[in-house]
Amino acid sequence: MRKFVSAKILLVAFVVALSFDPAFAQKLNGNTTSPVKLSLPLKEGSLRFAAIGDTGTGSSKQHEVGEMMAQYHVGFPFEFVLMMGDNLYGSEKPYDYEKKFAVPYKKLLDDKVKFYASLGNHDLALQVNYEHFNMEGKEYYRFKKGNVAFYALNSNYMDKKQVAWLESELAKDTSEWKVCFFHHAPYSSAKAHGSDTQLREVVEPIFVKYGVNVVLTGHDHVYERVKPQKGIYYFVTGAGGKLRSGDLDRSSSLTDKAYDRDMHFMLFEVAGDEMHFQTISRTGETVDTGVIVRKRK
Amino acid sequence: MKAYWKIRCVFFIAIAFAATQAFAQQPLASPPVTSPAEKAAIKAFENQVNEYVKLRNKVREQAPKLSKDSTPEQIEAYRTALEESLRAARKGAKRGELFMPEVAAYIRRTLKNEFQGRDRKEIRDIAFETELQGVVLRVNYPYAQSAELSEMPATLLSKLPQLPTEVRYRFVSRNLVLVDRESNVIIDFMADALP
Repeated sequence: MRKFVSAKILLVAFVVALSFDPAFAQKLNGNTTSPVKLSLPLKEGSLRFAAIGDTGTGSSKQHEVGEMMAQYHVGFPFEFVLMMGDNLYGSEKPYDYEKKFAVPYKKLLDDKVKFYASLGNHDLALQVNYEHFNMEGKEYYRFKKGNVAFYALNSNYMDKKQVAWLESELAKDTSEWKVCFFHHAPYSSAKAHGSDTQLREVVEPIFVKYGVNVVLTGHDHVYERVKPQKGIYYFVTGAGGKLRSGDLDRSSSLTDKAYDRDMHFMLFEVAGDEMHFQTISRTGETVDTGVIVRKRK
Repeated sequence: MKAYWKIRCVFFIAIAFAATQAFAQQPLASPPVTSPAEKAAIKAFENQVNEYVKLRNKVREQAPKLSKDSTPEQIEAYRTALEESLRAARKGAKRGELFMPEVAAYIRRTLKNEFQGRDRKEIRDIAFETELQGVVLRVNYPYAQSAELSEMPATLLSKLPQLPTEVRYRFVSRNLVLVDRESNVIIDFMADALP
């Protein structure tokens, strides 16, 4: 009897271990040709999330990015997705919410993946009330998952009230990790928009003062991992539904890694003092990967 | 004697360093000093804006309720009802009713001050890069839904008269527009506000 129980435990452990294996995940997905190649550690109890930006076109390529995210979700079950704004380009009729959001990410929504949106320069304010954007009716808000605090900001309108709110929230925040996400990029090597220095002038001193670790942005339709600036890791992830191919200034001294040949999304895994990330193209190619180690105070 | 030259060298290096830093940082243009007349104009503008907010909030009560987890259909119904009710409530509203000449003069001066100089070039770029196809400036009618919204420079927002959360400034080319945050209805606008 005891041997039977031990064998059963072993079998269960084996199946659980396999379920975290990407190759097995492909089989679960019924797609043996899936290009899913995870480079994240999949540590037990880690926090897993994704990030996308500038998505809301409703184009076939946006759908393909959504499909690839769903494929990765099988092997890397991320809990939620951060959105960098420009969630709906053009009109915002009920039909547009379907075409430009609900349909491209249907599989993820069906799997109960939550989306947390920020507003871009193409988004109307009433999006804050949309059930699937989880913005609590606010243009800027904070939520916490595990040891990570997330701050969604409205970079279209960084008025005194928002700056004061951000500063007061960060001042009392004892979370180990602090991640801010919003639309306009304080640092960017793209030629179309580039670094938003006037926004940086206002928010960067606050980020530095209160120990923000990571900043995720969009607006420029490229991917860029910026060299750490004043100890903060900045990413531009603005090609989830729109691409400006060849827009990166390859001579920029800001860039650590950049990609502007296809659309992309990002995956993150936070385990203790480590934040692992993987950037994946529309077709499943891994374009960047790495780990950010949190400095203890 | 050696000590004297050492001190002199350190002194000159310190001055040179401080000068470089000051030049490199290009501090923000300081807010324009306001005269008593301008303070009165700002106060009058703020009162007008508050009157508008009172009216729009009263109108809003009659619109369908909107929760923080609404469907797109509920959002659309709310926005349309608010827009139409606001238009009816402000029937006959004209340009310049909130941006009265006195406050308009103050805002123009603030914008001129803020937009001047090499370090303010980026603010101009932001204001002018917005794609504005289909935007027709007409008081009491909405800003075109399909058009981009200009990013309001954070450094500038801190210097303009402060607005309640229901109302927003927005640039449309060289014009400064006052819009209702939720309905996107144009409340008033200042033509050629930007220098």
